[in-house]
Amino acid sequence: MWRAGSTVTASSKPVIELKNVTAGYYTAEGFKTLKKVFKPAITKIDLKVNDGERLAIIGESGSGKTTLLRVILGLLPPLRGDVVVLGEQIYRVPARLRWRITRQIGYVPQDPAKSLNPRLRVAEVMAEPLARTDLSEKEKAERIRDALRIVQLHESILDYYPSQLSGGMMQRVLIARAIVHDPEILLLDEPTSALDVSIQAQIINLLCSIHEKLELAMVTVTHDLPVAQYLADQAVILYRGTIVEKGPMEEIIAHPRSEHARLLVTSYLSGLNGLDRINRAEGVSAGIKRETQR
Amino acid sequence: MMNKGHRSNLGGLGELARRAWSRSLRFRAGVVIVVVMVAVAILGPFIAPYPSDGWGAVPPKAAERAGKPPGPEFLLGTDHLGRDVLSRILVGAWLALAQSLAVISIGLALGLLLGICAAYYRQAIEATINYIAEVFLALPAVILALALRMVLGQGIHVVIGSLLLTWWPWYARVAYVYARSIAEMEYITLAKLAGVPGRRILVRHIAANVLPPVLVQAITDVGSVLLEAAAINFLGLGLPPDAPDWGIIVQNGFKYVISMPWISLFPGLFILLTALGFSMLGDSLREELDPKMRRRWRLWF
Amino acid sequence: MVLAVKSEGLKIGYLDEQDNVLWAVKGVNLEVSEGEIYCIVGESGSGKSTVALAISGILPPHAVTEGELYVYGNLVIRGESRSYEKIRGRLVTYIPQSPGTGLNPYLTLGDQFYHVLKSLRGSTRKEAKAEAKKYLEMAGLDPASTLDRYPHELSGGMQQRAAIALALSTGARVLVADEPTSSLDAHLRLQIANLLLRLREEVKLTVIFITHDLLLASRVGDRVAVMYAGSLAEVGKLREVLLKPLHPYTSMLVDVIPTLGVKKQLKCYSGEPPRPGSNDEGCPFFDRCPYRFSKCAAEKPRLSLAEGDRYVACWLYGNRE
Repeated sequence: MWRAGSTVTASSKPVIELKNVTAGYYTAEGFKTLKKVFKPAITKIDLKVNDGERLAIIGESGSGKTTLLRVILGLLPPLRGDVVVLGEQIYRVPARLRWRITRQIGYVPQDPAKSLNPRLRVAEVMAEPLARTDLSEKEKAERIRDALRIVQLHESILDYYPSQLSGGMMQRVLIARAIVHDPEILLLDEPTSALDVSIQAQIINLLCSIHEKLELAMVTVTHDLPVAQYLADQAVILYRGTIVEKGPMEEIIAHPRSEHARLLVTSYLSGLNGLDRINRAEGVSAGIKRETQR
Repeated sequence: MMNKGHRSNLGGLGELARRAWSRSLRFRAGVVIVVVMVAVAILGPFIAPYPSDGWGAVPPKAAERAGKPPGPEFLLGTDHLGRDVLSRILVGAWLALAQSLAVISIGLALGLLLGICAAYYRQAIEATINYIAEVFLALPAVILALALRMVLGQGIHVVIGSLLLTWWPWYARVAYVYARSIAEMEYITLAKLAGVPGRRILVRHIAANVLPPVLVQAITDVGSVLLEAAAINFLGLGLPPDAPDWGIIVQNGFKYVISMPWISLFPGLFILLTALGFSMLGDSLREELDPKMRRRWRLWF
Repeated sequence: MVLAVKSEGLKIGYLDEQDNVLWAVKGVNLEVSEGEIYCIVGESGSGKSTVALAISGILPPHAVTEGELYVYGNLVIRGESRSYEKIRGRLVTYIPQSPGTGLNPYLTLGDQFYHVLKSLRGSTRKEAKAEAKKYLEMAGLDPASTLDRYPHELSGGMQQRAAIALALSTGARVLVADEPTSSLDAHLRLQIANLLLRLREEVKLTVIFITHDLLLASRVGDRVAVMYAGSLAEVGKLREVLLKPLHPYTSMLVDVIPTLGVKKQLKCYSGEPPRPGSNDEGCPFFDRCPYRFSKCAAEKPRLSLAEGDRYVACWLYGNRE
């Protein structure tokens, strides 16, 4: 498939690389002085995402995962450290040209309702990432159709306004929009937290199939460990702005080393006290395939 | 999570107006009043029984005609100079509408532009625009009119100028508040990441969402502007004393309010009616824009 | 024995923009015994929150009701009329989804207790403080360090505990908790769940626990009512329902939940819950049900005894009376 301005496609080439990144926000301290004080939200983060990899960035509220996301997207210059996205130092590129890099990241924001302009039809939303490419109108339409097919939406949806769509459909439109220009990275911010469980399962399966089909790097930022388990092979656990654990997903779930990761895993495990153990011991309703279990 | 309703796109004002028409009696009443007033403004000089009276000329047999109460010959009576009040009102209707609509439309355009720019570009632009808006927001229109009158002399420019200077910051403020909340939306981030040009983001994403509520606000405000324009003219700061502005007619009759109440009463009623029409229009549209308000309104009754 | 909450044919709807009634709850029969943790599980739009509002007496004025609802034998909803005098805030209390909004940001915790208790039974400050201490301790907070604090000075988990303590201080017998943990981090969720379990033991509190999270429900609940599109799909003992879901919707819910450490294939069910106001004929789950047959489209199944004390609204189970 067509790649937006890609240069090399070695299979282990890092697509995102953060070296020793510290970032945060300035807050006015004191009533009279109005002195700006830097409050770091993430400190000394080293992170590498390879091409084709599925990584989850897991953290609870206040862990700095949103800040990390904004740094990767080129929206928040870090105080210190290098951010390399697709081989380019993103913060060395002037802000008004940064889109040339960032548009190769397919970004799916957290809240579908806030991510679609109520005054634009789906067709216009989908065409946005293609606007500054040198594709002909026909090719653009073709790409939009392909993307819709991948997310299993009918073409008639192009004429709809967001308010006419359900939450699950909105999320599908956003995913289609994120992959319409065939990006190298798919960046998902809490992709299922606003959805019902049955829709959540549809979206999880959809994202897995997209990763297989398009062979892109998929980064999921989430607080939800069970969901992350499906969407990632590698995981990074953030706690209070630092990475406390990184490694293969299954490894972390089975043997969390850091204290916070252990707390996280056990809180989900014991949370199922009922269901999970029941699941394992007796099997639930007919038709469930249990592939692996620990 | 409650699903946020399934109303069809909140899009154009046309759609909004159509729904309001089908549902709200107030909207229909407002439309009728406004349409009648616009018709009167256009046709006034032609349907007035005594057009030259209307434009302010004192008729030849003034003394004979002066101070007649409403009757078959002079439907709304005559003023102290013998001019037919109905003709004065009809001929002046266009002045009333022209003054308020000019103020609203220019003020709205200016306010939208500056308010949205302030919200989108932030930093120095935001601070500057907000500062200027606050300064003008603090000025009363009448004082400003007095100053303009001193500097520029009498005329319609005093009315429009002073009202414009006091009304644009109001729209800048309203547009700014809406635009700020919209600029926080993720679809703006998405557009920026995709490299959508800034001007397109401003127009398609921000302005398109800011416009409907601000426009509805503006329609409601036409009545207030009309009242303020009448006040400035009443005080003699704006149009010359012969002009058929409703405020001036009220002022003319003010001295004779005991002996000839009709001179002030009827133009006053016209001001009231027009203002009422526009605010009914605006209010019912706003309820349509925000269905919660409609419920609240109904609960009161 | 008096049931804590009982409803018969409870229907609740909201007036929409065209003044039509959109039924959010379409005939629900609930029976909650005293001292029970009763979970109502459902997806968005299932009407579970509306039931919570109805039980706690805070339905918005534009809501329309039908049927009957009893709280400790007191008739609070009867057809169109609703009267919660001496019930709301006294017998039943409510804790909202987001802990921050349940507390007044301008009052310290101590003051919040004082205002509540003063209006309820005219307590003095001193009495209120003593009561507050008792209930904060009960909710697992240290009164010395929290009584003089403002809500924003507390973490999310502490805020929710404080909200629970405040709700308990009214002496209410029934606590309606509408998604009390969904805005909290995972480990805090568990703590709140444990707290509710402990309170049930200590003060024989009846808890109506509204959630979309079947896993969390399995941790706390005794019995569960699964709601779908405004109707009850299945009612029974939680463990049994999860072990052996009878209604196809319940088994779908069990299938689609990702569980940690069990890498099962997530079964994909297409379709979405019906929108409010969509047609009422037949089974609401018809479109998505893998076992549907002709009768399902024609007639809406009623909740009826399937086996043991399991009630299911599905034609697969004969729908015997």
